[in-house]
Amino acid sequence: MSDLLRVTGLVKHFDARRGVFGRMLGNPGILVQAVNGVDLNIGAGKTLGLIGESGCGKSTLGRALLRLHEPTSGEISFDGTDITTLDATALKAMRQRMQIIFQDPYASLNPRRTVGEIVAKPLQIHKLASGSELKDRVVSILNRVGLNSSHLNRYPHQFSGGQRQRIGIARALIMNPKFVVCDEPVSALDVSIQAQIIELLDDLKQELGLTYLFISHDISVIGYVSDRIAVMYMGKIVEEGETSEVLENPMHPYTKALLSSVPHLEKSTTRRDRIRLKGDLPSPINPPKGCKFHTRCPLAIDICRQKEPALELLNGTQSAACHLTSADGPKGGV
Amino acid sequence: MRDTVLQISDLKTCFDTRDGMVTAVDGVSLSLNRGECLGVVGESGSGKSVTFASVMGLIKKPGFIANGSITFEKRELVGLDPTAYRKLRGKEIAMTMQDALTALNPAYTVSNQIIEVLLAHDDTLTGSRKAKRKQAREQALEMLKLVGIPSPESRFDDYPHQFSGGMRQRVMIAIALACKPRLLIADEPTTALDVTIQAQVLELIAGIREKLGMSVILITHDLGVVAEYCDNVVVMYAGQIVERGPTHAVIANPQHPYTQGLLNSIPRLSDLARRIEPIKGTVPELVNLPAQCRFMDRCTRARPACKTHIAMQDCGPEREVRCLFPGTPGGGDV
Repeated sequence: MSDLLRVTGLVKHFDARRGVFGRMLGNPGILVQAVNGVDLNIGAGKTLGLIGESGCGKSTLGRALLRLHEPTSGEISFDGTDITTLDATALKAMRQRMQIIFQDPYASLNPRRTVGEIVAKPLQIHKLASGSELKDRVVSILNRVGLNSSHLNRYPHQFSGGQRQRIGIARALIMNPKFVVCDEPVSALDVSIQAQIIELLDDLKQELGLTYLFISHDISVIGYVSDRIAVMYMGKIVEEGETSEVLENPMHPYTKALLSSVPHLEKSTTRRDRIRLKGDLPSPINPPKGCKFHTRCPLAIDICRQKEPALELLNGTQSAACHLTSADGPKGGV
Repeated sequence: MRDTVLQISDLKTCFDTRDGMVTAVDGVSLSLNRGECLGVVGESGSGKSVTFASVMGLIKKPGFIANGSITFEKRELVGLDPTAYRKLRGKEIAMTMQDALTALNPAYTVSNQIIEVLLAHDDTLTGSRKAKRKQAREQALEMLKLVGIPSPESRFDDYPHQFSGGMRQRVMIAIALACKPRLLIADEPTTALDVTIQAQVLELIAGIREKLGMSVILITHDLGVVAEYCDNVVVMYAGQIVERGPTHAVIANPQHPYTQGLLNSIPRLSDLARRIEPIKGTVPELVNLPAQCRFMDRCTRARPACKTHIAMQDCGPEREVRCLFPGTPGGGDV
């Protein structure tokens, strides 16, 4: 299997000192450690589902992969090229092949541009088409996402949430990208519309041979769309594996808690034997020492408070970062 | 013997807008028994929030209640004068809003906002103004403990922005429960929350409901939440109730094509191989609706006969549906 994207040791810290004076005089130690050493591979034509709670760094990771956030350190190899060292011109050319669909279909479309202008913009920026060819390509992609040429001269506010998300998808796909970051593309939508967009993304992937990083906090959606799943907690991947492995046999206590928190439609699951996590996500400015999950983990032992576990391959394809599952760590009944 | 707490009969709430008269709630009837938890499911624009804003007397111009009656413990609420409403609201019926950050006053500490409710409504406080305030402060602290805010003594005089999303939702629940209301209306209490925190908040509401014998209305778009926490459910679409019944009967054997569509649109962790089937089209505009089934344009079962006013009809024990051709597709059983 060939990997389209290989990420090694990716780190993104934000400077949280406030204002110019804060930067000049302030404590140099105030860093938001949004992404804190992520290794990730995505096979060509596959969908990697990235799941985690708000604030865990999943959106930052998605954007850093396209260098929309400049990574603090680490390597991102896309189709064999390390894109972290590319200059602006080379990066621009590379971006034709990497696109992103944003979460909020209300904020991510310019309200003063028509749909035709919004969708045509990427082609104009890269000078790939003009005149009637440009219009033909815009209409053809609009048709493909379930809109039509009568929508060309309308403004975003004239559309519903689901239709706006279709516009966002058209804008990303008009470049014929190979890799698309889908950053919570259905979270802002009603369930019936959510299903329409999931189906559309799935059809487009088959048809155009796309590779997705699909970011969501909804584990049912992730389970449905992904080939592999990565679970993120406080800037780190804590578990990664084939979708069926992670969902049916989760290794990390956080993954287990996530799965057991999902309300089920079926009567058989009782909420009484749910793993209940205490408390909230700790602050990424001052993350806990040792395993970052130990403050909420029901199974934490001494070593978890001192040493951070590494992401280790447990069987052929599934890895987890937990002392309790580690081969050379203490064996526990996890 | 049934003890009805809330009875809504043929409620119609309209908004007089520039584009015409919007009938946001059109002939909603429902009743709630003491200690019952009723789930209200619907997508944006279904009228679920407006129905309960009407109950709370929170409909402001250009909105108005055009028709119908709302009785709370046999007292008519429609047309109740503002002073009497203020005595009721927060004391006997309380509502928590979807977005805790906008619902809480950013300029007051959390303690002040709970104390305010107690000073306004709690008749058991005695003595001078100062003495009352002291007692209210103690009770407020108790409430924060009850809703599970860690080290409440130290958080008590913090401002809302200093709390995380889950903690804010708890603060709002604490305010709502401060006077031990007999009815709690929770409008999407967990929509803005992560799934592990959602589980905590829903368990909290369920626990308090049992402890205080409170009736709860849970407004949500998440059928999984309804399945786990509600005795009965009503499904709303475009301002009308389209189906009602005991939760597990409705989920196991939905009769209305919209309810079936909703259930088919959500991916289920227990059966990821099952293809999701989106409902085609979008919710109709609520301006000048013709007298016909509102779901007709999106329905696979629509026939010419649907072009008339459709009434609710019985379809099983304690179940009703607003459809001429209810039942499972193909089967035709009622």
